[in-house]
Amino acid sequence: MKDVSKLILEDGAVQDRRIYWDQDIYEQELEQIFARAWQFLAHESQLPNPGDFLTTRMGEDNVIVARQPDGSIKAFINSCPHRGNVVCHADTGNAKAFTCAYHGWAFGLNGELATVPLEHDAYYDAIERPRYAMHPVAKVDSYKGLVFGTFDASAPSLRDFLGDMAWYMDTFLDVPGGIELLGPPMKSILNCNWKVPVENFIADGYHVGWAHAAALKAIESPLTPLAGNQAYDVNTGLQVTTRGGHGFGVIWDAAAAIHPEGGAFRDWLAKRTPVMRERLGEWRSRFYNGHWDASIFPNCSFLYGTNTWKLWLPMGPHHIEVWTWTLVEKEMPEELKQMMVATNMMTFGTAGMLETDDGENMEQCTGSNRGWVTRRGKLYSGMGQVREGVHAELPGIVGKGIVCETSNRGFYRRWAELMSGRSWEEISREPHYAPNRQVA
Amino acid sequence: MNAPVQIKTPANPRYVDRDTLFEVERFLIREARMLDEERFREWWQTQLTEDIHYVLPVREIRMRADKKPVGSNPGAFVFNDNHAMLDMRIRRLETGLVWMEDPQNYIRRFVSNIDAAWADVDGEVDAWSNFIVYRNRRQRDETVVWGTKQCRLRKVDGQWKLAGRTILVDQRVVLDKNLYFFL
Repeated sequence: MKDVSKLILEDGAVQDRRIYWDQDIYEQELEQIFARAWQFLAHESQLPNPGDFLTTRMGEDNVIVARQPDGSIKAFINSCPHRGNVVCHADTGNAKAFTCAYHGWAFGLNGELATVPLEHDAYYDAIERPRYAMHPVAKVDSYKGLVFGTFDASAPSLRDFLGDMAWYMDTFLDVPGGIELLGPPMKSILNCNWKVPVENFIADGYHVGWAHAAALKAIESPLTPLAGNQAYDVNTGLQVTTRGGHGFGVIWDAAAAIHPEGGAFRDWLAKRTPVMRERLGEWRSRFYNGHWDASIFPNCSFLYGTNTWKLWLPMGPHHIEVWTWTLVEKEMPEELKQMMVATNMMTFGTAGMLETDDGENMEQCTGSNRGWVTRRGKLYSGMGQVREGVHAELPGIVGKGIVCETSNRGFYRRWAELMSGRSWEEISREPHYAPNRQVA
Repeated sequence: MNAPVQIKTPANPRYVDRDTLFEVERFLIREARMLDEERFREWWQTQLTEDIHYVLPVREIRMRADKKPVGSNPGAFVFNDNHAMLDMRIRRLETGLVWMEDPQNYIRRFVSNIDAAWADVDGEVDAWSNFIVYRNRRQRDETVVWGTKQCRLRKVDGQWKLAGRTILVDQRVVLDKNLYFFL
C-alpha cells in the first residue's frame, strides 16, 4: 500500500496535487474509501413496491438495489458469479428475478441463485447454489428515507457514520411526511477527479460570486448582488464540518433565493417554519430557511433550497458521471414540486445555468495536473482556518461566513484517515482535530 | 402543450405540399445557421412564438416490457423552457461573464431527414428532423451530440415561427459536460 501520510498537510488545508491525478492513489481510494465507506444508493421513495429495483454504482462496482417482498431493501453486485456478465441493464423497473443474458442463470430479488439451466443434465445436481449468489453489499441501511450501503461488514453503523451531519440533515429530513427524490436522474460526464465537485459543494462559497456572476445577473434574485463579489457580509452565513468528513455551508434566509418564481416556495417555508421550530428548535428552523451547499462523505452532494441532489460516480482518476435528482418535500403541492424541478433543471441540470460554469472549472482543475512538474505542487484551502472553532450550540467545527474552507479541510482530514488503511476501530480511538477556540 | 414529451409519427399523417415542405426546410436550416453564428437574441425575437415550449426530457433505460411512459409526472428535463426562461438563458450569455464561452466555442449544427405534416391545429405544422451538433473548444475538447426533434411551426404574419420543440438526445448519459446550447 502506498504511503499517503504526506499528501494532506496542515490539518487538511494543503493537498498534494497527485491525489487528483495518479492512478495508484485512485486505486487505493477504491479500496480504502469506496470499498469501506457508506455510499448513497437511493431514496426509499424510488422503490415503493416489492420487486422495484434500480441500478447504480458504489465506486466502480455496479450494484442492483431491490425492494424485497418483506419491505426491506437489499443490494448486491450486478455481475453474474458464473462468468461475470452484467445481469441487469435497466436503470429501473420491477422484477421477480434477474436473469443473466449469457447462460440464463436467474437470481431472486435477494440476489440468491434461483435457477440454473441444465442443472441436472450438465451439473449433475452438484452445484452448491448458496456459493453463487450475486455478491451482497455487506450492509444496507436507511436514515429517514435515504438508503446507503457499504461493502465493509466492519464499518460503523450508518447512524455513526453520518454522525452530527444527521443532526443537521434532520432539518429537511424531519419535515412532516418526509422527502422524496424526483427523477429519473439526469446523467452527464465530467473529465474531472471525483473529489473536485465534492469540494465545490461541501465548502466553496468563495466561487459563487465570481464563477456564477453571469447566472446571478441573469436570474434576478436576492442573490444578484453577490455577482462579481460586490457585496459580502460574513454574518450572512456559516460553514460546518462534522466528524466523518461531511459538511456544508449555509446562507441564512436564502432557501428560495435562486428560484426565478420563488413566491410559492417562500409561502411554503413560512407555513412550515413554526412546525419545524416546534419539532427541531430555533437553530434548525433557521437552517430550514437557509440555502445549503453540502456533501456527504465520500461522493454525494446536495443544495438544500435549490434542492438539487447529486452523485459523483468515479470512473478512473480523471473522469466521473454526474447524476442529478430533485429533492422535494412529499407534502408539497404538485405545482410547487414542478417548480422545484424546473428551478433545479434551470440551475444545476445538464443545461443548468450554474452547472455549466462549475463543470468547466472542475475539468480544468483536474487536467492541469497532467503536467509532471505541475502535479508536484500543492493546493491550498486554508481560508478561515484562523477563525474556526467550536460553537456552544452547534455540533462539529464551525467556520465563519459562507466564504470559508472549513468543510473542505474536514473532508480531506477524513480522506487521509481512511486512505491510511487503518481500521475503523483504530480511527475512532485516535484524537482528532479540535481547534481550541469558541465561535459565536 | 406545444411540445409533447414523446415523439411519434401520427397514424395517418397529412404530409404537407412541396412548397410548404420547402419553407419548413429553409426555416430549420436558417435557424441552425443563425444559432451557429450566435445570433441568439435575434433568434429569440424573430423565430419563436411567445407561447413557445422547448423541451428535452430525460429518458431512462428500461426493459421493453416496462411500459411506464417517458416523462411521467413531474419527470425530469434538461430543458422545459418557456419564452421567459429562454430569454434568461440568453441574458446569461449576453453578460460577457460566461468564462466557459470565452474564448469562443465552435458549434456546428447539421439538420437532416426533414419531413412535415399538418398538425391538428389549423395552419400549424409538425416537422421532424434529425440533428448532429459538433462542439469544439479550447485546444482539443470536442464532443458530438446526436438526436432527433419534433417541432411545432406556426405561420404568423406570413412567417413561420417555432411554437414547440421536443428534443430527444440519443444518449442516456450525456457524453458532454453540459448541453448549454440550443438544439
